[in-house]
Amino acid sequence: MPEARQEKEPVLRLENIVKRFGGAEALSKANLTVRRGSVHGLVGQNGAGKSTLIKLLAGLHQADEGRIEIDGVAQDRLTPHLAEALGIHFIHQDRLLVPSFTVGEALFLGHEPRIAGTPFLDRRAMRRQAEETLRRYFDLSLPSDALIAELSAAEKQIVQITRALIANPKVLVFDEPTAALVRREAELLFRLIRRLSAEGITILYISHYLGEIVDLCDTVTVLRNGRDVATLTVSETSAAEIGALMVNREIAELYPKPTVSAGEVLLEARNLTLAGSYRDISFTLRRGEVLGMTGLVGSGAKEVVRTLFGLETATGGSIAVKGDVVVPANPVGAASRGLALVPEDRRRDGVALSLSVLENTTLASLKRFSRGLINRRAERHGADDLVRRLQIKTDGIDALVGTLSGGNQQKVAIAKWLSRQSEIYLLDEPTVGVDIGAKVEIYHLIGELAERGAGIIVLSSDIEELRGITDRLLVFFRGRIARTVATAEVSSEQILADVTGAHESLRHVG
Amino acid sequence: MAASAQSTHAVGPSRKLSGTIGRYALVAALVLVFALFASIAPGFLSGANLLSVLVNNVALLAIAAVAMTFAVSAGGIDLSVGTAIDFASFAFVSLVLAGQPVLLAIVGGLAGGAMVGLFNAILIAGIGISPFLATLGTLFVGRSVQQLLTNGGNPVYLPPNSVPDAFRVLGHGTIADIPLPILVTLVILAASWIVLARTAFGRSVIAAGMQASVVRYSGLSLPRINAVTYILVSLIAAVVGLILTSTVTVYIPSSGNAFLLNAIGATFIGTTFDRHGRPNIPGTALGVLLLGIVANGLLLSGLNFYWQQVGTGLLIFSVLAIGFGQRENVTRA
Amino acid sequence: MKAFAMSVEIPSFPVPPASTSQTAGAESGYERWQTTDADPQTTRPARRSLAMLAVRAGAFAIFLGVFLIFAVTAPYFLTIGNIGNVLGQSAITGVLAIGLTLVIIAGGSNVVTGGIDLSLAANMGLSAAVYAAIIQAGYGDAVAVAGALATGLAIGAVNAAAVTLAGIVPLLVTLAVMNVVAGLELVLTQNTVIPAATDFLAALSASGPLGLPVLAYILVGFTLSVAVIVQATPLGLRLYAVGAFPEAARAAGLPVKTFIGGSFLASGLSGGIAGILSVSYLSGSTTGAGDMLLPVVVTALLGSVFSNRLIPTVTGTLLSALFVGVLINGFQLLNIPSTLVSGVQGLLILLVVSATTLLGRKEAA
Repeated sequence: MPEARQEKEPVLRLENIVKRFGGAEALSKANLTVRRGSVHGLVGQNGAGKSTLIKLLAGLHQADEGRIEIDGVAQDRLTPHLAEALGIHFIHQDRLLVPSFTVGEALFLGHEPRIAGTPFLDRRAMRRQAEETLRRYFDLSLPSDALIAELSAAEKQIVQITRALIANPKVLVFDEPTAALVRREAELLFRLIRRLSAEGITILYISHYLGEIVDLCDTVTVLRNGRDVATLTVSETSAAEIGALMVNREIAELYPKPTVSAGEVLLEARNLTLAGSYRDISFTLRRGEVLGMTGLVGSGAKEVVRTLFGLETATGGSIAVKGDVVVPANPVGAASRGLALVPEDRRRDGVALSLSVLENTTLASLKRFSRGLINRRAERHGADDLVRRLQIKTDGIDALVGTLSGGNQQKVAIAKWLSRQSEIYLLDEPTVGVDIGAKVEIYHLIGELAERGAGIIVLSSDIEELRGITDRLLVFFRGRIARTVATAEVSSEQILADVTGAHESLRHVG
Repeated sequence: MAASAQSTHAVGPSRKLSGTIGRYALVAALVLVFALFASIAPGFLSGANLLSVLVNNVALLAIAAVAMTFAVSAGGIDLSVGTAIDFASFAFVSLVLAGQPVLLAIVGGLAGGAMVGLFNAILIAGIGISPFLATLGTLFVGRSVQQLLTNGGNPVYLPPNSVPDAFRVLGHGTIADIPLPILVTLVILAASWIVLARTAFGRSVIAAGMQASVVRYSGLSLPRINAVTYILVSLIAAVVGLILTSTVTVYIPSSGNAFLLNAIGATFIGTTFDRHGRPNIPGTALGVLLLGIVANGLLLSGLNFYWQQVGTGLLIFSVLAIGFGQRENVTRA
Repeated sequence: MKAFAMSVEIPSFPVPPASTSQTAGAESGYERWQTTDADPQTTRPARRSLAMLAVRAGAFAIFLGVFLIFAVTAPYFLTIGNIGNVLGQSAITGVLAIGLTLVIIAGGSNVVTGGIDLSLAANMGLSAAVYAAIIQAGYGDAVAVAGALATGLAIGAVNAAAVTLAGIVPLLVTLAVMNVVAGLELVLTQNTVIPAATDFLAALSASGPLGLPVLAYILVGFTLSVAVIVQATPLGLRLYAVGAFPEAARAAGLPVKTFIGGSFLASGLSGGIAGILSVSYLSGSTTGAGDMLLPVVVTALLGSVFSNRLIPTVTGTLLSALFVGVLINGFQLLNIPSTLVSGVQGLLILLVVSATTLLGRKEAA
């Protein structure tokens, strides 16, 4: 099949694309050719240029150099409107739907049906068409007068795809479409994509998850550092080969793990219970230890971490920090006990984007630097030190954190707590949205923290990551700890089986 | 809204240069306006006139604008600064009328103003209402409360013969020939600058204004920051009420609102002075100075009195246009 | 465009709390390979948020309650003539508040980056002054109407240009423009009343069919026509999209800036219309238009409470304006000082918002 497809003419051809932002080249002579009817994967680390390429195609940016051809016709001034008119539609990573709209309104925004001969909205037609389309493609009956705000993440995703389908697209571009989907919904999406492909729609599929690419695509283009390093026929390659092209680094080097012998108990939870969320959670965390936690959404793992940091209040059980039983009622109390949370939503909760590196770094430890007034020299010195120690790439400590890459932002989020000399680190999905280079540095940092006698809890859904960097692992299932195990003694498949509660091995791990 | 992780906002050198221009637009405007009026407005440059600009056009507004700067720094706004001014004024006048010593009346006035802040603090920090709505509500409620207290909105005069001399000191006194209102203003400006720019509290206020959830996740108490901020705002505004009442020896209900819009204007003009476009005390002070000089200069240059307001508006407009046009842009998108 | 983030949400009436809890965790990829423990079909958030329903019901109940109290205690209250008066007296506020509502719809709920037009009241003052001055200069009503509307539109155009082209936030643009406009009014009127009496103006302030004031018909007519455009046409739907989620509107190919600029033009025009109405109502242009500003803002903000989804709507704003009108009228009839109306408005807004916030918090917990 793929062989046959190779013969087809290109729908999209991007040649020698250069795009600069300020001084930096986001794309340097990148090429991408997508043939009619194919399911074409586009992979690359964060910062490889995927998003930029897509935005050029969507007409949201203009290329500085190079040529974009659609259906054989050169397009030198693409606009979002023109791109749509040419039949290219985008399923964006962010669900671009107005929360206060009904499903029907959201579906038809921009090309609303009107009552014939009048300028008025035909709400009945909107409702009917919405329900028909949803049923046809998804076998789904969403009440079309439900508000977007009331839908689940997956339902929103579906609405977004349906929006594109209504416009009869020639090419559908999926930008990380499974990011917010649970597995069953992702499977549904894959089936749908195959069906759309069978109906003759060309698919461009961008993803971090190589497993998905291998399953779904016939061709894949790998971007690295703003250029295309390879375009491969999927049937002739493997996820491992694609991954190697993306990172140019042996996987084994990814997970540096120093051996640290565990010391005194830093944190102990006993029969911790939060009604409706988790029950009877007991564990200890020692100095020098990296404790992994994992589980599904709603399994309670995340809530336990939030409870430790005082963001939730347990309804039963106890938490002891260095032997003192404490009730962390809010983050103020938790932080003063030496706990540090690096939250999952980095750009919202972890770092203040319009504050400088300096201001972010010392935000949690201002008291340390001030006696009445902030001692500026000490503060700058402290921040400088951490920037150097953590190898944070920035124009200087006065640069705004919003100008840093995701990985460096994450390092700032961690530096904030180093500055406070916290001892217990709660890292919630510490490497999501972080490119592989920075990932390794963050793993190094975690190891270093452990060596210095901190205790670290890593909450993650990346099982390879957990296997790579943790000493022990707690697997949560339905509000309880399903398994406590030394990481070295368990396989990825076992972990997955525990996580899902089903004793089946999963297709792949992202 | 989570975003594609690529950063698309590298700041190039040309951008930095134009940012600097935007930053000094305010100073340039101030110098220009000053030079302009010095050459066309007779008497503008006289010491007496400049002093009167500072006392009449600048001092009180500066204090009100400093108060506003705290609220805006914390990511909010305080539409009830006028209410705090009024309440301070009312308490001050009432206590003096009741024969209390002036010093006690001053403390009472400050407390009266701070009550407004306490009310805001409960709404904003306690209940979690957005500052705009909370203080708008306070403004409206405060207006009616004043009507009730004054029997339908009648001014409360202090009979000239019964006013203790000490009462007038705040508005009319001098130290080493410098009018007291100016000294008080300078002290408040300096203290506020230090608090906002150099203390841990000030830093946390600014951070809360930028991204409140980060402050919370950093182990700082957001409600506490907000509560202290809004009480502080009212406390500073109360000083305006005291000086004002001491100057004119009358309390007029709901008169404090006259400061509201100019205080907001000065604060935002001041943001153009900061590299990152943040509210800041020196910028606010410059903004107030600009407004004061323009008002006075237009008056002296013999233009119709009513053109003053037009001129002021146009000036705010252009400073903002230049300042905003150049601003460095770090999107959260 | 957020150079410093000022998060003054105007109406933070919730789009239900469920939405906030979803955006955070769900975007991250944490769940990506997972099946949730519970069946997704059953975990769908409760249909309409309880807080939303409670607030809406509460708002209507308060309106109804106030209405009933007046109906019982003030015998004259429930006569056609009096209701007509309420409508007529609410006409000016109503038109202004509806103009502001359009700006809020298109600009979104964040005061700083979003929609607010502080120049509206001053706009009305200047438009009225222009109208009266033109009449004084001996021209006819047609010229005066054109002059007033053009004045309003011009002010709207300045706002629109500064917001969309120069990229200054509306709060500041309209604050500066308000100053300029109020100054121009002073220049034009020398801070005096300019009387104007023409047949046209007399007709506007007279009684119409059924003994109701013509102004009442104008308010209802104005509301209905704007409501139809905003609530029943694609244009209106797009306006909401632009305000609520500009990125989504942009992705749907909508010219966001044009919509925002258009909303300022529309609100400018409303200012002009209100100016004409006020000349008619007061038989000339008077000073002190600026005092209308905050009541108009509160009226527009409270309007959200009277809408289905707790978003700003034209009809909601009309109800809110009428509610204030009823209060003023009822207080007058009962000999309560009408100055207390502002207190009631203030308390109400605090009450509603507190209730929404507290209920929302409880629900989220």
